[in-house]
Amino acid sequence: MRGDHGMAVTAAALLALSVAVGAALAADGTDRAEPPPATTPSAPPRATPEVTILNKHEVEGILGREVRSATDENMGRIVDVLVDHTGLVRAAIIDFGGFLGVGSRKIAVDWNALHFPQPGTPGARIALELTRDQVKTAPEYQEGKPVVVLGALGKLESWPE
Amino acid sequence: MPSPIAPPDEPPLAPSARSLRSLDWFIFFVADVQTGFGPFVSVFLTTQKWTQVDIGLVLSAAGFVSLIGQMPGGALVDAARSERFVAGLAVTVICISALGYAALPMFPIVLSAAVLHSLASCVLGPAIAAISLGLVGHAAIGERFGRNARFAAIGNGLAAAAMGTCGYLLSARAVFVVTVLLLVPALLALRGIAPAEIDPERAHGAPPRQRAGKPPAKPGDLMHNRPLLIFAGCLLLFHLANAAMLPLMGSVVTMQSARWATLLIAACIVVPQLLVAALSPWVGRRAQIWGRRPMLLIGFAALPIRGILFASVTDPQLLVVVQLLDGVTAAVFSVMVPLVVADLTRGTGHFNLGQGIVGTFVGIGASLSTTIAGFMSDYLGSPAAFAGLAAIALFGLLMLWFLMPETRPAEE
Repeated sequence: MRGDHGMAVTAAALLALSVAVGAALAADGTDRAEPPPATTPSAPPRATPEVTILNKHEVEGILGREVRSATDENMGRIVDVLVDHTGLVRAAIIDFGGFLGVGSRKIAVDWNALHFPQPGTPGARIALELTRDQVKTAPEYQEGKPVVVLGALGKLESWPE
Repeated sequence: MPSPIAPPDEPPLAPSARSLRSLDWFIFFVADVQTGFGPFVSVFLTTQKWTQVDIGLVLSAAGFVSLIGQMPGGALVDAARSERFVAGLAVTVICISALGYAALPMFPIVLSAAVLHSLASCVLGPAIAAISLGLVGHAAIGERFGRNARFAAIGNGLAAAAMGTCGYLLSARAVFVVTVLLLVPALLALRGIAPAEIDPERAHGAPPRQRAGKPPAKPGDLMHNRPLLIFAGCLLLFHLANAAMLPLMGSVVTMQSARWATLLIAACIVVPQLLVAALSPWVGRRAQIWGRRPMLLIGFAALPIRGILFASVTDPQLLVVVQLLDGVTAAVFSVMVPLVVADLTRGTGHFNLGQGIVGTFVGIGASLSTTIAGFMSDYLGSPAAFAGLAAIALFGLLMLWFLMPETRPAEE
C-alpha cells in the first residue's frame, strides 16, 4: 500500500478525516456521476444524509495544534496534512523551529510517528516520536516537489510525486 | 512674507524639552505596537486553524498595499496641517486592526485589518519624520533622526523580548491584546508634543527662506530629482541584498544547531538593535560633521562583508558576531534615509512624498529579495546565495560611490 500510489492530494482545511474524504470526492465530479457500486443494491435514495454523532472525547481537530517531542521539546505546529488518493493520511506538515518567524520551515513527518492524546483532554499535546536533533536537517516541504517524509526512526523517506 | 529681507532659516521658537521627550516616548511605543504585529500574525492565525493558503493571501495583500500605499501616504502627510493628528489617527487605526485580529479572526475581518494596518503604517512612518522635522528644523534634524532611531530600536528590542515571552506563556492572541493596550501610552506621549511647536511648513520640508520668492514645487518635480532617484535606486539594491540575509541565516542556523537555534536567532535579531540604540545618535552627529556620503558608504560597505562572512563562517556562535555588522548598517540607514531625503527635498514642501518614493523602492527591493535568495539557495546552496546577495550589495555600493552626490547643505 505504502509508496506505490503516485497521486497525492493535499487537503487544505482538514478538520477530520471524514471531512477530507468527502471534500475530495465532492471535488471530483466524475465519481459522483457513476452509478453506485453493487454492494448496496437495495438501498433506496435517502431524503436526508446519514448522521453520525461523535462526542468530544472521540475526535478533535488537529490543525494549528502544538507538537511536542518525546523529550518534551517544542516541535512546532501542525499546519497541513497530506493524504493519498484513497484518503489515507500519509504525513503531517509541521512548522518547525525559528524565533519570531525567522528561521522556521515546514517539514513533513510520517503520520505514524505522531501520537494523539485522548480527545477533549485540556492541555494535552500531540507527541512526535522524533527529537529536534533528528528533525533539524530535514529539507523544507514545498508544494509541487517530491516530499521527503521523516519516519519514526529519524530516517528520510522520499515520496515521489 | 511682506518684509523685503528674507526671514532666518529657522524660526526662533525652540522646541521645548517636554515635546522632544514626548516624541522619544511616542516613537518607543509605536515601535512596540508595530513589533507586536508582523511575526505574530501567521502564528496566531495558524492557532486559529487558518490554512497556509489563506494566511499567505492575507500577508500578500498586506505587502502589496504597503508597497503601493507609500507615495499616497507621503503625499497625504505633506497635505496635512496637523502632523500630530495624522500620527495619532494612524496609530489608533493600527490598534483597531489588532483588536480585529484578536476579537474576530474571520477572513473578511482579518483581511481588512491587515490592509488597514498596512495603510496606516504607510502614513505613520512619514508622519513621525515630519513631526521631527517640524519640531527641530533642518539644522538639527541629523541628531534628531539619530535619537528617533535609538528609541525605535529600544522599543523593537524590548517588544520582541516581551511579546515573545507573552506569546509563549499566554497565547498568540494575548500579543494582540497587549498591542491594543499600548495605544494608551502612545497617545498620551503624542499629547505631550506641543502642536504649536510643530511648524507645518517646516515639517513638509519647506523652511521659510527657501519658500520666500519661489513658486511652490509641484509633486511631479520630485520624479525628475536625479539625486533622489539615484538614492532610491541604491536603496533598492541595498534591500534586495539585505532583506533575505537574516531569514536565510536563520534557516542555516536551524539546520545546524537544534538546541540553541531559537536562542541564537533571537540573539541575531536583538544584538543589531542594541547596536542601533548605541550608535544612531553618533551617526546623526557625524553626518552633520563628515557629511552624508562617508556615513552611507560605511553602512553600505558592511553589507557585502557580512554576506561574504555568512557564506564562509559555519560556527553558529560566530554568526552572532557577524550580526554586529547588521547593527552598523541598520544604525546608518535608519538615520541616513530620512536625513538624505530631507536634504534632497529641502525647500520643495514635499519631504514626505520624497520618503514615499524612497519607501516604494525599498519595498520593491525587500520583497524581491527573499524570492531571489530562496531561488539561489534551492539551486546553488546557501553559501552561494550569500555570495550572490553580497555581489548585489557590492553593485549597490559602487553605484553609491560613483553616482551619489554629497547632499549636506553647504552652510548652516
